[in-house]
Amino acid sequence: MQPDMRPYAGLKVVELSEDAAGEMTGKYLAELGADVIKVEPPGGAASRRIGPFAQGKQDGEHSLHFWFYNPGKNSVVVDLDDPRGITMLRDMLRDADLLIIGYQPARLAELGLDYAELQSAFPSLIIVSVTPYGLEGPWADYRSSDLVALAGGGQLNVSGYDDHSIPPIRPGGNQAYHIAASFGLAGAEIALLQRQADGLGQLVDVSMHDSCAITVELAFAFWEYQKAPMLRQTCRHAQPMMTHCALFECADGRYIYAVIMLAEPKPWKALVAWMEEEGMALDLVEDRFFDAKYRQENFGYVSEIVECFFLTKTAEEAYHQGQAREIPIGMLHAPEELVDDAHLAARGFWRDTAGIDGPIRYPGAPFVFSGFAIPAPARPPRLGEHNGPFRRDALSLAR
Amino acid sequence: MTSDAAIAAARKPGPRQGPLAGVRIADFTWVAAGPLATRFLADMGAEVIKIEDGRPGHPRIDRIRRVTITRGTGAKSVGHDYGDFNLNSSGMFNNYNRSKLSVTIDMTSPRGRELAERLIALCSVVTENFAPGVMEQWGLTYERLNEISPEIIFARMSGFGHSGPHEMFRSYGPVVQAVSGLSHISGLPGGGMPSGWGLSYMDNQGGYQGTNAVLAALYRRNQTGKGTLIDLSAVEAGVALIGPKMLDVTVNGATTRGGDFPSGNRLPDNAAAPHGVYPAAGEDKWIAIAVMDDQQWAALKRVMGAPDWASDPRLDSTEGRSAAQDELDARMSAWTAGQDKHAMTTSLQQSGVPAMAVQDEGDKERDPQLASRGLYPVLDHPVCGPSRFEGTPIKFSRSRPDLWRSAPFVGEDNDYIFRDIMGLDPAEIADLKAAGII
Repeated sequence: MQPDMRPYAGLKVVELSEDAAGEMTGKYLAELGADVIKVEPPGGAASRRIGPFAQGKQDGEHSLHFWFYNPGKNSVVVDLDDPRGITMLRDMLRDADLLIIGYQPARLAELGLDYAELQSAFPSLIIVSVTPYGLEGPWADYRSSDLVALAGGGQLNVSGYDDHSIPPIRPGGNQAYHIAASFGLAGAEIALLQRQADGLGQLVDVSMHDSCAITVELAFAFWEYQKAPMLRQTCRHAQPMMTHCALFECADGRYIYAVIMLAEPKPWKALVAWMEEEGMALDLVEDRFFDAKYRQENFGYVSEIVECFFLTKTAEEAYHQGQAREIPIGMLHAPEELVDDAHLAARGFWRDTAGIDGPIRYPGAPFVFSGFAIPAPARPPRLGEHNGPFRRDALSLAR
Repeated sequence: MTSDAAIAAARKPGPRQGPLAGVRIADFTWVAAGPLATRFLADMGAEVIKIEDGRPGHPRIDRIRRVTITRGTGAKSVGHDYGDFNLNSSGMFNNYNRSKLSVTIDMTSPRGRELAERLIALCSVVTENFAPGVMEQWGLTYERLNEISPEIIFARMSGFGHSGPHEMFRSYGPVVQAVSGLSHISGLPGGGMPSGWGLSYMDNQGGYQGTNAVLAALYRRNQTGKGTLIDLSAVEAGVALIGPKMLDVTVNGATTRGGDFPSGNRLPDNAAAPHGVYPAAGEDKWIAIAVMDDQQWAALKRVMGAPDWASDPRLDSTEGRSAAQDELDARMSAWTAGQDKHAMTTSLQQSGVPAMAVQDEGDKERDPQLASRGLYPVLDHPVCGPSRFEGTPIKFSRSRPDLWRSAPFVGEDNDYIFRDIMGLDPAEIADLKAAGII
């Protein structure tokens, strides 16, 4: 192996997942160098029919959902409901290093797939099962979705608005699946390290429900140590008590996130100095406001002055001028504003790939290594595009 | 009563078990993202040595030690707490730092830094998530670390990454979520404030990806003998999580300000309805229901007892249901209100409808699925007492997590590391103590 090659170069991954958790796991492994062969049913993976669609084309080849989760993979069509399909799959597993698979127990039984049997047939194979609830337990065959998983995991209970007549609101972007995928990758990587040491594969059972359940930060500790329930608060931490608004509207109608009420003195001092420079600090320069407790007791007054200050600036200005003063302010970017972000551009974050009918710009990998580069991925595959190189038909297998 | 000596004996570190046994990590991380990254590594057998501020009063100690979520006090919102802290009593710290060791070193003094370098020489991984410039101030650049411990893996987790015009920007979880777009894409339509996240989601995801990057680097080093610098930018990790909407922007030129975006609990790109969070019996209790296809709609109708309004043939297709979402949401709310969220979850799921109570942490403590998976292991802690921990969401048939101890006291393992691992003689340790270095 060349030293500048990616860690998993040369590994063969068979991916039997149609949801974003398994597909994102496969995408990460592809980014880290593995060859991923996506096994799809004759009609294509369910993910090919999820919108949005490139130019609105709903033909199975233009799902941006599919494109997002499946760049750099190969597509092979195998009908697992036909016994010959199972034979093809087993043939592919003979030289595979990992199998990423998303089936719940009932579906596995229907297909006659038994992991204990697969493990004894393919002792060095790592089976990474990424399912909604894990392979065992009373809910193992319960249905899920991103919204359903965020409800069960605890994210919805803490996300929404100050007004509690509004239901909890789902944080966007398929994050329950993305949380599961982070552990899908972690599980695969631990098993790879174990196999590196002893040559043997194993079954890795990742549960989206478990993964979400441990991703709640303060809520767990507040309950475990103080039995304190959490209150949802608009675009800021849920806490046992209501805290002060952290979003400020700017002159261009966009928002920034800035916490001005906390006990930490440094950012407050920097904010007041900044306002003072522009003649807008009024009496906030006075000593009593440097006491966080006093500030909180007089929040209405303080926030009115700060609100006026930020309304004189665009969100960009507030973000950059504040950061120049070492105040942790963040502008709430819309995705389209990220594409032009100077910092992301300077770091070479974006990856441009030639698609089937035009360029596709992808976000880069979540990690950067000095020892090797992660190049732009190949475009997402057309259905069955790689049947030739990767699939032997059942007749030739029988011979 | 257990004596102090017995507690110390029970907490004494020893050789680790698990797939990462033999990997020793000099861990400079603090607060959330970094400690979450090293928590998983520690659980899986790595010897993770937290290096904490050794100065009197520990002014730059891991700030999570000062988050007073602990037993026997009233709940106070984080950031709104003042006064004295017992640095060994934080439940947040306990949960994030189990399975790790703690040593104290004054990194502001040349003698402290020299001691740290001797420790790093015995480690093959260094982790940190300070504000930019801190490691440089101590002279601990990748180049220097690689001299001290050849082919080291140096994992740096920061808000913006260690290059580019915004390298020095300050951030923590919610700022990262704002800048990376994750806040904007979450909320009700209409141009008002987004609802974003009620937690530092990117501290978790940034931490998880830090773990994953270290694991990839370990695998590669085993293959090639080569170490690496890891430059993990939480903002970039966040942008990578925006999902398909990002491609709607880069491929279709979609814009997301104004109009129907964000879409609250609905799925605008897919004909899925009803799809929402509906009120249940009790104050602020809710259930999520996500009907993705006609079969699930038919099942939902049966569970609801086939009400007349639901027999409208318009509602038999996903397109028809999508067009009638406002009406459907009102009907669903009327049906769910007053019913127990758990009972509804059971009857809907048993009929094949994706649904789940909006669970709080108490619900999760009683969740039969999480219990059957053993997600919350219990470890004792001399100050916190026996406590549940957020365990490992992965079951391995062969690799076993080894949660061998609750979180360390400040400097709890000074003797073990300085004497037993580094081989310092007792006189030198005493002298370092007397000089206020450790």
